Amino acid sequence: MSDTNGGPKQGLLRRLWNGFWSPASAFSLGFILISGFLGGIIFWGGFNWSLELTNTEEFCVSCHTMETNLGEYRETIHYNNHSGVRAICSDCHVPHEWQHKVKAKIIAVKDVYHELVGTISTPEKYEEHRLAMAAQVWKKMKASDSRECRNCHSFEYMDFTIQETRAASEHQRAIDNKMTCIDCHQGIAHALPEGYLEQYRSVVEDLQASNGKATPHNADVAAIQTYVGGLPK
Amino acid sequence: MLGFLDLLGTIGGNILSFPGILGLALGMMTRNWMLAAVMGAVVGIMKSLIFAGFHFSSVDMIDLGVAIVIGVLAASVGCAIRHKGATA
Repeated sequence: MSDTNGGPKQGLLRRLWNGFWSPASAFSLGFILISGFLGGIIFWGGFNWSLELTNTEEFCVSCHTMETNLGEYRETIHYNNHSGVRAICSDCHVPHEWQHKVKAKIIAVKDVYHELVGTISTPEKYEEHRLAMAAQVWKKMKASDSRECRNCHSFEYMDFTIQETRAASEHQRAIDNKMTCIDCHQGIAHALPEGYLEQYRSVVEDLQASNGKATPHNADVAAIQTYVGGLPK
Repeated sequence: MLGFLDLLGTIGGNILSFPGILGLALGMMTRNWMLAAVMGAVVGIMKSLIFAGFHFSSVDMIDLGVAIVIGVLAASVGCAIRHKGATA
């Protein structure tokens, strides 16, 4: 077999490959640049649009296994409140920053797998895995300094004078002791499993061990504050 | 399982972020393999520093390592594209 030039006949893939790397004599540099630019916009816009579709509440709860989470979330202030401002699943579980978002989307492949194999397909199975699932989310939130909470909430803009006394006091304590949102708000959108406090403590200790940091001495900080407060002015 | 997915996510995030895209673009600007690799590595380091707010203590070592490797690989691919695709 040979082609019209007398050489051996090339396969389709080889011809496509050679054509792809040949100089485009039929097109000007401007044409190639403009078409490449437009193609890039269309590709990137489509990619980002598709990614954002997976951030919608409809997409998140389209799986059967998400019914329990959805029911619990609908009982919370993040779903229904006086102002009508809502935080949907992705607001708390998907980072806004690009590189963290892509990472979260790739890790979410495991959710599809567990939906398919039915790991949490019944209420009994769900309860069996609730503590482990919650611990994974707590670990991510603690490690990121509750980054997703802070997309909406910020200590800097909290007016403690219009908060309940206890809330204001606890938020001040959180600032003083460099605590993060998830340290107190573990069950903010879903029911807390039994033994959650012990599990959360274990999550924090594991993180500190992996980071090589010692446990913060909150008691020492409090003692120092008391001492400083008692000094003569 | 989560550890592997965590690493895979970090790699994917870097491919679709500065190290992958800018590394590829910078690599396409030179025929010098070493220069391309160095530019890719610098992009990886800068990306980690920028997203850590220029606080060295906030830089995650695994993330930094992955960013550098992806930057070098992307820049090398870019350099290969330059070798293969540019006639002059």
